[in-house]
Amino acid sequence: MNKQGLLYTVLFSFLVSFVFVAVLAIVNGSTAEQVALNLRLQRQRAILSAMGREAETQQEIENAYADVEILEYNDTTLYRAQVAGRDIYAKEFVGAGLWGPIEGVLAVTGDFERAVGLEIVSHNETPGLGGRVAEEPFLSQFREERIVDDNIVVGGAGSGDEDRENGTVDAITGASRTSDGMRVILDRELSVLASLIGGNS
Amino acid sequence: MSSPTQILKDNLWYNNPIFMQVLGICSALAVTNLLVNTAIMAAGVTFVTAFSSLTVSIIKSLIPRKVRMVVQTLIIAFYTILVDLALRAYLPDISRALGPYVGLIITNCIIMGRAEAFAQSNPPLISFWDGATSGIGYMSVLMVIAFFRELMGFGTLFGLRVMPENFVPWTIMVTAPSAFFFLGLIIWGGKTIMNRQGATA
Repeated sequence: MNKQGLLYTVLFSFLVSFVFVAVLAIVNGSTAEQVALNLRLQRQRAILSAMGREAETQQEIENAYADVEILEYNDTTLYRAQVAGRDIYAKEFVGAGLWGPIEGVLAVTGDFERAVGLEIVSHNETPGLGGRVAEEPFLSQFREERIVDDNIVVGGAGSGDEDRENGTVDAITGASRTSDGMRVILDRELSVLASLIGGNS
Repeated sequence: MSSPTQILKDNLWYNNPIFMQVLGICSALAVTNLLVNTAIMAAGVTFVTAFSSLTVSIIKSLIPRKVRMVVQTLIIAFYTILVDLALRAYLPDISRALGPYVGLIITNCIIMGRAEAFAQSNPPLISFWDGATSGIGYMSVLMVIAFFRELMGFGTLFGLRVMPENFVPWTIMVTAPSAFFFLGLIIWGGKTIMNRQGATA
């Protein structure tokens, strides 16, 4: 058969594509379960971590998550659990960052007095600048932060706001747009939470 | 045909894909602000280059000339997707950190360059070796850039803090422009040394 001919070219292209795509389909099928499991564990770990329960291994995550109650309100899902004797509510969120969506989990106490924790599940911010939004120094500011007027404000910039009573956290230096994004997200998410579990203002 | 040792020397130094051929620059700028990400990304590129060169070399006599490059791209995409699936299933944290860059291995000019310039006209094993050493040549330059960027931009190496507590990170090292500076310095240094070697030889 003429290897430069039309028929051979078409047959060859078809066959090569078929073989390679078939192998990929098999590999994709055989890893799909593992990938889905990873995603589920990642979400559950973030929800638990925002609530103040750290779980690392699959076993720990599944055990801890078994205690979490899932509450459905119209189009919103909340997660509720007892952690250290307190009622904690958590909500997943998606909002705009500078380069792409920021996804995460925010947890508050049942009486809506304080935030319990913030976790970032995924983001596309610049590593080292906006990317710090997912790092401990920024996130730890939310632990036990008091909610003032149904809000926690991301403002100014500094080395981290240590005051847990002022309802304010420090923004990230060199990442104003990411910090603005977080301010909008917190404002919105806290008002949704306030309307669902009752705010104080 | 070149000997394996000659190919190794060429790909690591005399004909290094990054600083002599100036190929694969986009990823050299994008992923080099953390050593761990750089190492995984470069390992992925090495794997894809080696195996796509091997595959192209094995089936080269069957490929019609008209669809040669399309078939090469198909083979490269096949191996890239395998890497992506493997990372997603077994190293989910790294997969998240690298984000879209794994998929972009397909567009790395080094891989297509080796398939077209070497594997298309050489036997399988030596093509595999050529692909693997090209990948290592790419990796060596990227690791040097990443070493300085992570050290100055974060004060860490492989995520471990090495700079003193009062070290102020250089924000520019985290963003892409600093990679341009380092790449320029490396090309300058490499060419200077090579010219000197040429003068004495």
